[in-house]
Amino acid sequence: MSRLQHASRQLDNIVRHSSLNAVVATPNRASILAAAESADNASSGHDVDSRSPRGRVILVKDNICTTEFPTTAASSILKSFKSPYDATVVKLLQDAGALIAGKTNMDEFGMGSHNMHSYHGATKMSRVAGEERSAGGSSGGSALAVAMDQCWAALGTDTGGSVRLPAAYTGTVGFKPSYGLLSRWGVIAYANSLDTVGILGNSVDSVEGTFDAINAYDPQDPTSLPLSTRSRLGQRKTSSSSLKIGIPLEYNISTLSPAVREAWKRSMRQLQERGHSLHTVRLPATQHALSAYYVLAPAEASSNLARYDGVRYGSRAEGIDGTPESVLYAKTRGEGFGSEVQRRILLGAFTLSAQAIDNYFIQAQKVRRLVQQDFDRVLRVPNTLVESSTEIKDEGVDVLLCPTAPTLAPQLSELQNQDPLQAYVNDVFTVPASLAGLPAISVPVDVAEQSRQPELKAQGIQESAGMQIIGQYGDDKAVLDVARELMEATRV
Amino acid sequence: MIPLASRTSSAIPSIRPLVCRSCSSCTRWQVSKSWASPVRSNASRPLHTTAQSISDNAPFRKVLKEAAKKIKKEKREAPEVSRKHGQMKNSRVDDWELTVGIEIHAELNTAQKLFSGAATSTNQPPNTHVALFDVAFPGSQPIFQKPTLIPALRAALALNCDIQYKSSFDRKHYFYQDQPTGYQITQFYEPFAKAGYITLYPHDFPSGSPPLSGPITIGIKQVQMEQDTAKTVQQPPSTHLLDFNRVSHPLIEIITLPQIHDPTTAAVCVRKIQAVLKTVNAVTAGMEMGGLRADVNVSVRSRNGLPTNDQQSYSGITGLGQRTEIKNLSSLKAVEDAIIAERDRQIELLESGGVVEGETRGWTLGSKSTKRLRGKEGEIDYRYMPDPDIPPIYIDPDLVDHIRQTLPELSDESIHKLVDSQYNLTAKDASTLLTLSDGDRLDYYYEVVEQLRTIFVNEPAIHARIGKTAGNWVLMELGGLLKNEEWSSTIVTPQDLASIISHVLRNQITGRTAKMLLAMKFEGDQRPIEQIVSDENMLLRPLSRHEYEELARTLLEEKADMVRDIVEKKQVKKLKWFVGQMMARSAEGTVEPDKAEEVLRMMLKLSD
Repeated sequence: MSRLQHASRQLDNIVRHSSLNAVVATPNRASILAAAESADNASSGHDVDSRSPRGRVILVKDNICTTEFPTTAASSILKSFKSPYDATVVKLLQDAGALIAGKTNMDEFGMGSHNMHSYHGATKMSRVAGEERSAGGSSGGSALAVAMDQCWAALGTDTGGSVRLPAAYTGTVGFKPSYGLLSRWGVIAYANSLDTVGILGNSVDSVEGTFDAINAYDPQDPTSLPLSTRSRLGQRKTSSSSLKIGIPLEYNISTLSPAVREAWKRSMRQLQERGHSLHTVRLPATQHALSAYYVLAPAEASSNLARYDGVRYGSRAEGIDGTPESVLYAKTRGEGFGSEVQRRILLGAFTLSAQAIDNYFIQAQKVRRLVQQDFDRVLRVPNTLVESSTEIKDEGVDVLLCPTAPTLAPQLSELQNQDPLQAYVNDVFTVPASLAGLPAISVPVDVAEQSRQPELKAQGIQESAGMQIIGQYGDDKAVLDVARELMEATRV
Repeated sequence: MIPLASRTSSAIPSIRPLVCRSCSSCTRWQVSKSWASPVRSNASRPLHTTAQSISDNAPFRKVLKEAAKKIKKEKREAPEVSRKHGQMKNSRVDDWELTVGIEIHAELNTAQKLFSGAATSTNQPPNTHVALFDVAFPGSQPIFQKPTLIPALRAALALNCDIQYKSSFDRKHYFYQDQPTGYQITQFYEPFAKAGYITLYPHDFPSGSPPLSGPITIGIKQVQMEQDTAKTVQQPPSTHLLDFNRVSHPLIEIITLPQIHDPTTAAVCVRKIQAVLKTVNAVTAGMEMGGLRADVNVSVRSRNGLPTNDQQSYSGITGLGQRTEIKNLSSLKAVEDAIIAERDRQIELLESGGVVEGETRGWTLGSKSTKRLRGKEGEIDYRYMPDPDIPPIYIDPDLVDHIRQTLPELSDESIHKLVDSQYNLTAKDASTLLTLSDGDRLDYYYEVVEQLRTIFVNEPAIHARIGKTAGNWVLMELGGLLKNEEWSSTIVTPQDLASIISHVLRNQITGRTAKMLLAMKFEGDQRPIEQIVSDENMLLRPLSRHEYEELARTLLEEKADMVRDIVEKKQVKKLKWFVGQMMARSAEGTVEPDKAEEVLRMMLKLSD
């Protein structure tokens, strides 16, 4: 099938499934198709790398700056905002010949686990008539667009699981690379020290192809990994014949749903059958990771979001703001931010306040360090950022295998009146890798026959649970390789 | 933090696109010379609260004189009020010890902003030097501009600080329209320089006011780098236009220890820090140009054990009274007056049984008292957070050494040099030379001395007198002619002055002749000195002993009554009149006063 045919079908799907609200800004169809066709013509007769994004439709999460489309971060405060510049990752994709075809829905500023907190309205996963499930968040639009074949791949952002969680719920592949590999220039900050551009696709190949196109040092991003450090990464080759797979016991929580636990066990079995060995490991700091995350991320968010005051760009409340009786910008910010964003700004402002910083922010930073040390202890590959040696140790495991989320995608109706804390709990498995800056990927593993829902089964829809592969810092290729093998091994 | 309220002006800007794309590639260096005189034009940044008539470059004496004049005038105009609110009686003030700490903010002399490639600017059209990050565009990130560190290091080294190998940047949060990100990036947890000091010598003080005989050393707690804010341009009644050219201009904040106990010392300290920063070419401009602003922390404690709440501790100094902070003082006079007013307010409050509240206060020039801005409960919690985007800065000790070695000579070093046997100036003359014309006068002096040393290279006896004599001529004689003219080293060139002085040192012309010669050159006489001396017949043609005695006898006979006064009533001073007459009655350059007096004394049988 040609790139033109794929593009045409995917653009059709954007229109057809518009009610799902995955895509919030769409392009000129004719120009996309013309570009796809010329990509076909240019490559006719050659062997085309199926992983290359050239001539492929790619959608971009709405918190990544684009000059062609508005960039709203799904917030009312940026509803009229159009960026004067393109994010580096968008530029790199365009340079690689990708067709940037629109923007995807998300939780406002990346804050949410179900894509329900959006100025554009919630994104809904609906595989059969009447079904309304969470697509996950905050990159729910990107994940669902991939699942609904509205694009070849999509960019998301992952701060505490925002790419992996929606990938798990929608049955797609969601990859969060090592922190610092992909440029954040032009990516609207939620929590800078955790924010990572991530990639969603239907296969590890499309994800890896996209990753390769945008994995480059960017001098405009002060946290972009410099070339000198990059050259020390990924020097090892995966001997895929026999890997040591770590199974972190702390992830086997009592609230893990049976469907997910079963998929996890099956993943272990399949990898074992392929000649890999399984090893239980302990990551004791994991139990504090979620709390630490929900101190650190809101703290940075409260700071990052202080700039939205309606003065230089973005929307502004009607009438006079900042009267002597009120706080400056109270009206504009009160109207512009949604409830979840306001909640996290307040949380963050509190944890940074003079009375609370020692007990919250500082403690959370310590936990973060412990989480990273946990990983360094159990993984064979040394952490390039901490150790000078690149020698692989005898002790320890190559990668970790664990679920991405405790449950399958919940129904939206269950979430309507949910306590915000319950939504935060969905991030319990994804947050540790974020805190440590490690590469992590979620791949779909089919659920067992007995766990399938009759109404989906009747339509021939195979449900899946997200399984997560976590590797050492900079060991992104190993993570992708294991993910590819796991998908092949578990395909029913 | 640069205080907010007064950082506005009333210029009317043109409306331009907010972001200057070209700024990312701007590398234009501002022309700056360490001794360059400040630009005195309206093109500079005006601060609307500071209609200062006195330049901060003016000698401090002059500043004080102006201040005294003002107070006198005010007393004349409103005697009732001044008696009530004027300075407190010294006896009461003496019962209390004043303690002051100062925070000084100065704009660094750099080509680029602190965190973007945009060029710094002082008087460009509004919003023409603004990068994406400067106006906090979503997705934009800060890139620390390493060259901004150089003037900051020069400043910190000149203030004797320890340069920290590792330093980092933090966010200080507060909402204001001149702060696009909603936070100022500063160095709260890990500043780049710590533990410095500045020494104030008696010559740093205005004449008549040095509080102690010896030098005073004031500790500097730290020096940190931080961003400036945007400029608010008010368009009354309710429009505020924003000029983001200044946003993220690099600043340093210098924090002194609370070791100052006198308002004049505080002003002298600020003035000296300002001079040091200028000398090492670290800053763009002084206070008069808005390039430097100060906040002061003021507290008092009883010397007589009066029970007050002296439980406070600041920067490790304990037992202090509750302090208040007075923000945004933009002149030396404001620093001194605000401290006096706040000290008196606190003393009055404590003596009447009140309690000093920890609060932030403001001061406007010409006012009699500080004004409460916000109390402790209204204090902003800045929620300091390490900036997660900006990596720590590691400063190579080799760089520090290099900067230390290439630092321009500081005024204290210059003064020590001028006072010692090389030049033999008084400390007073040395510091006057240093402050005049932004240092140009000192350069001129060095040049004159250099010329004279060449002339007298083989005459060691004269050699020793060169420094002091040249000092007198540069400061007194040439300085006296200047009056209202702007200084320029070309009015009388160093060569010409050296030539005049050399004639004096060789006793070839009288001092009076030399002064006349100088006045002629000053008025524009184009002839070389040698030629004037010969054209005008100025060379000293000394009278013989006999001629001196003849001249003296004639005069003594004419004024017998005066001779009686001198001999009988011992009114020896009247001798000077005879000396003057002897000079007046002879041809120019023939009578030397010393010799005339000697002859007179001999004839009147007076002892020396």
